[in-house]
Amino acid sequence: MSPRWVPSKGAGGKSTGVEGAGGGDGDRLPARRPTGRRLPGRRLLARHPLARFLLRRTATAVLLALGVTLVTFILTNLVPGDPAAANLGQRAIGDPAIVAQFRHHYGLDKPLPVQYVTYLGNLLHGDLGESQQSHQPVSTDLSTAVPATLELAGAAIVVSLIVGVAFGVVAALRRDRFTDQLLRVVSLLGVSVPTFWLALLAFYVFFYRLGWAPGSGRLDPGMTAPPDVTGLYTVDAALAGQWPVFWSAAGHLALPALVLTAYTVGLLTRFTRSAVLEVLNQDYVRAARAKGLPGRTVLFQYVLRAALVPVITVAGLAFGALLSGTVLVESIFAWPGLGAYAYRSATTLDLPAVMGVGLVVGLVYLTVNLAVDVLYGVIDPRVRVQ
Amino acid sequence: MPRFSAGSYPAALSLVAVAALALSACSGGTSASGSAAGKTLVVDTSFNLKTADPGREFEPTGQIVDKALYETLLTFKGGDVTKPVPGLASSYEQSKDGRTLTLHLRTGAKFADGSAVTADDVVFSLQRVVALKGNPSFLLDGVTVTKTDASTVTLVSKKANPALPFILPNPALGILSAKTVQAHGGTATSADAAEKYLNTKSAGSGPYTLTSFNTNTQVVLAKNPKYTGSDKPTYDKIVIRNVQAPTQKLNVQRGDSQIALDLTSDQVGGLSGGLKVDSGASSDVIFLLLNQNTKVSGTTANAKFAEAVRKGIDYKSLLSLAGTGSVQSAGIIPSTFLGALPASQATARDLAGAKAALKASGIAKPSVTLGYASDLTVDGLSLQTLAERVQAQLKEVGITVTLAPAPTTTELDNYRNAKEQLGLWYWGPDYPDPSDYLAFLPGNLVGLRAGWQAGADPALTALGDKAATTIGDDARKALYEQIQTRLNASGPFIPLMQPSRNTVSAASVTGVAYNPVWTIDVAALGAK
Repeated sequence: MSPRWVPSKGAGGKSTGVEGAGGGDGDRLPARRPTGRRLPGRRLLARHPLARFLLRRTATAVLLALGVTLVTFILTNLVPGDPAAANLGQRAIGDPAIVAQFRHHYGLDKPLPVQYVTYLGNLLHGDLGESQQSHQPVSTDLSTAVPATLELAGAAIVVSLIVGVAFGVVAALRRDRFTDQLLRVVSLLGVSVPTFWLALLAFYVFFYRLGWAPGSGRLDPGMTAPPDVTGLYTVDAALAGQWPVFWSAAGHLALPALVLTAYTVGLLTRFTRSAVLEVLNQDYVRAARAKGLPGRTVLFQYVLRAALVPVITVAGLAFGALLSGTVLVESIFAWPGLGAYAYRSATTLDLPAVMGVGLVVGLVYLTVNLAVDVLYGVIDPRVRVQ
Repeated sequence: MPRFSAGSYPAALSLVAVAALALSACSGGTSASGSAAGKTLVVDTSFNLKTADPGREFEPTGQIVDKALYETLLTFKGGDVTKPVPGLASSYEQSKDGRTLTLHLRTGAKFADGSAVTADDVVFSLQRVVALKGNPSFLLDGVTVTKTDASTVTLVSKKANPALPFILPNPALGILSAKTVQAHGGTATSADAAEKYLNTKSAGSGPYTLTSFNTNTQVVLAKNPKYTGSDKPTYDKIVIRNVQAPTQKLNVQRGDSQIALDLTSDQVGGLSGGLKVDSGASSDVIFLLLNQNTKVSGTTANAKFAEAVRKGIDYKSLLSLAGTGSVQSAGIIPSTFLGALPASQATARDLAGAKAALKASGIAKPSVTLGYASDLTVDGLSLQTLAERVQAQLKEVGITVTLAPAPTTTELDNYRNAKEQLGLWYWGPDYPDPSDYLAFLPGNLVGLRAGWQAGADPALTALGDKAATTIGDDARKALYEQIQTRLNASGPFIPLMQPSRNTVSAASVTGVAYNPVWTIDVAALGAK
């Protein structure tokens, strides 16, 4: 991910502060330059390049999200198969009146362009349509599925970052020594072992054989979910002070999250190692050492900070992948997340649900990309907005 | 290279994993709530669930749920589907012409809210099923429901309907409190808006009430203290969870659940821990279809070619794929239903006969395409595996079968639009009566999927018409046997097998009985 948000001088707001009038166009069209008092919003944008950057990226994100809906809509309609046949029973499909009612209810009796425009119109009102499988608004389904996956992926990425970065740093510092070799094997195993296989193995060993982990699902059987605030059971249980529920939720979360960390830890270890090695050879690091700075200071303030840029890029992509690609792990642990919902929707041609999932996944990647780009600036002043 | 101190990192970081596992252990490992002593029963199954609204549901998991929430006019005892027994109706009479069914309601029956179950509730509930035009609406096709008096309802069918007493036990025909449903947008019209309410609270008189409902995760039921039926439920709470088969196995072995419904024969083979396994033949019949439309395939429409296929299949070899409990289907009607052909009449492999029939067909080096849903498993048996075995067996006859796998959603379209030359599918019973299988006759639902148009076999059609309206078990049995014998001789369908189904339960659970309509009646389960 390149630091795309470093603005050009012309668009930097130095002369006019008006993005559309900046650069060469502004010079050729002096009449368009603002001559009176600037609007507060424009002044804000002129003074805060980050705000301008975020605004521009948000506008781009909206366009991209629109593109995601269009591509998803086209692809789902290109799949050979009839949603009515996939969702109606073997008898009901033989009744033209029932089939007609089904098509009418879901708007499938309208031409495709009309269906798409209707979808967009509803989307503006926050209506993602009704799932043909659950008979509920897709937004309702997603409001339970997304937090479930977010909790799982969030826990996994936090652990991955802590462990992966630490492993990578240690491996780099111990280059070609036993620790490095050991961590190389560990990280290669992490990225090579199929996650679904690891999930099955972990469930078998830690739940079935050893009894250390609880069974499948997000809570113990019969335990009532905490009051819904964030959808994250651990957080909601803590907020409500329901500590038995909290411990149950945390316990159920631990094993699948650990399984998911295997791949990302391996990935981050390798990337961190190579990034740290590259920085270690830089002159300014040698200079810092030569000045007699403590090793810890050099490591955290000179080496790690510079090495984190590529690591953040990989972590962002890994987080996106975790949010959208945990189907098999969710299946094994009976975790009712986005992956399980996406699989069910796709295999039953539940078009509104597929569209909803596509939109969410698209937004996840857009948000993660934006967050990563902002973090570049936080970590590395060289790519910060002028 | 600069040197930094990092010796303590690996040890410190390894603690993260240990801490996470310790966190898991803190939550208690196996659940204490899953025991009979706690009066909570945990059932694991792979969900096929859309709604808890009886008027709209017709999926296997929905049937389990609604069987517990709603009483029906008639029901079945355990797994015996050959004889309807009283439910909300204490008795019934069927007219000699088979068109009128009169049901007398049980006195004292009450909904979970304490109100009495009336004839008006019955009329509303059944009329609503028809009006909603949902998956179960066909159950009451051509049936008019009227209230005769406060405790009697009459169901009049347009044509003789001897199957109606076998249809009424379906949980989709559960009786709701009209007053409650109407208060939440329910009507006996297509404008009904009560589904949302019925997915949060039940409105029935069944042994359980709905505590929570989620089509992706779990359904929780609580005992109905006002249940007026004869067999009171044992468990205070039932938790039905959406769990895939491999995880179901570990859960039930570890005691995290007490019932696992979807384990295959291979999976139940290595079970330990004093678990009970109830195995038997499923009511799903897997069959081959040969398209009779010459525009689709002149080869499969050839009667001698069909005979060659029928004789060329090694049925016993196919059963080895499905495991213990599976049986060869002698006819299209499952072995446990009225009218099923005896096993002695099942087709056996006759390789020489198959080759002779193929020669007589006049088709040199026949080649056909076999369409099937490659992602579909029937009671744990993959159609992909089965298709490959069929392909190999027919190759021995001299028939080249090209496999044409596709996702279910795609292949269903081909099947339902009669585009397949050879097709590999299954039929699960809509209700446990042989009349459900008249769909396989020419011009009917499945017959048309094989390109078998009305009038293609007038004698068979006449037999079907007669069977559909004949009253009396003996006469019906004889007719359905004739139909299947003729189908086996010259029809475009080749019944292959009923795969095995397994119900695994903890040693503490009693009363487990597989029922082809609702799989399992959780209210009938007891505890040691």
